[in-house]
Amino acid sequence: MPSDLTSPLWATGVCAGLYAAGSRHVVYVPDNPLAHVLRLLRDAYDDVRTTIATREEEAFGIAAGLYLGGVRPTVLLQSSGLGNSLNAIASLLVPYQIPALILISMRGDAGEWNAAQVPMGRAVGAICDALGLPRATAETAEATADIVSLVGRTAFGTRLPGVCLLPRRVTVPNATASVA
Amino acid sequence: MNRLQATRHLIGALADEPIVASLGHPAYDLFGAGDRPSNFYTWGSMGMASSIGLGLALARPDLRVFVVDGDGSLLMNLGSLATIGWQKPENLVLVVWDNEEYGTTGGQQTATAAGADLAGAAAALGISASVTVNTEDELTFAVTRARTGRGPWVIVAKVRETPPAGKPPLDCVFIKQRFMRAIGAPEDATRSQ
Repeated sequence: MPSDLTSPLWATGVCAGLYAAGSRHVVYVPDNPLAHVLRLLRDAYDDVRTTIATREEEAFGIAAGLYLGGVRPTVLLQSSGLGNSLNAIASLLVPYQIPALILISMRGDAGEWNAAQVPMGRAVGAICDALGLPRATAETAEATADIVSLVGRTAFGTRLPGVCLLPRRVTVPNATASVA
Repeated sequence: MNRLQATRHLIGALADEPIVASLGHPAYDLFGAGDRPSNFYTWGSMGMASSIGLGLALARPDLRVFVVDGDGSLLMNLGSLATIGWQKPENLVLVVWDNEEYGTTGGQQTATAAGADLAGAAAALGISASVTVNTEDELTFAVTRARTGRGPWVIVAKVRETPPAGKPPLDCVFIKQRFMRAIGAPEDATRSQ
């Protein structure tokens, strides 16, 4: 496993976990915590490609195309972007049984300061459940690699997109009022 | 030209290259013009066809990937042109059947009816090989160039709306697995750990 002492442990866990699940292409719409993941992928994972999308739904369309071509896709997004993604997930990935490892950087959970982030953040779990998407949460930085890997292996093994939530208490443990 | 005729000219100019079809009439006419295992028909996810094509083109640089989109669908995901224009996959060809209306939902006008220029938008977003065609000869010429020339390509074909010629298989998983086998990426190989 590549190491990078300047990266937070949860971010190294995300990279190690998606890599262990066999994913070699990450499609994303960035947010602040995910920048750690993206930097680490760029610096330490030469064989993982990254593609930025203009909008989260587009990221899921690209991910579906990658899978059709034989590549296991990971999609990185902020919880706010789940709302932008729903039709692609519900009418493309799920009915065609196209899996993706979906990693959601949470907003609106414990530590949030921005009221505009709260409603969607609060709805993320119920939305995943309503769509029948398995979900798990990286409860600690130390547990992140394992849970990301397991969610990914389950997704690609069962051909159903799987969600791993990255809560703010893990990604921004010292959150005060400055992270957007 | 109408969309079915245009679709027949498109597949007549191709061998077994993969074609990703946007939902509704573009997919129906692709099926009607000639079902092929390397056709990927979408039944939902309006707007996503060009993005699926981009992902496939990135995963499989050995293939020339075609997409048949609609003007209404592309307008729903116009950011896709910016991503394609940035990534510049040389092997992606986006064909847009531009009938200036939402043909699948009853013929409501789209912005192209008022002059919105999708090929111009593509060029402005970094896709230099962007062209609008109005006749079958122009379409065939553009597709033939796009089969081998360096892309990405955007071919906006002005077409007349006509009743669709058929409906593709309804089984989404069948469509996917047949497609993946046809392009040499059988799903079982993807699944193995």
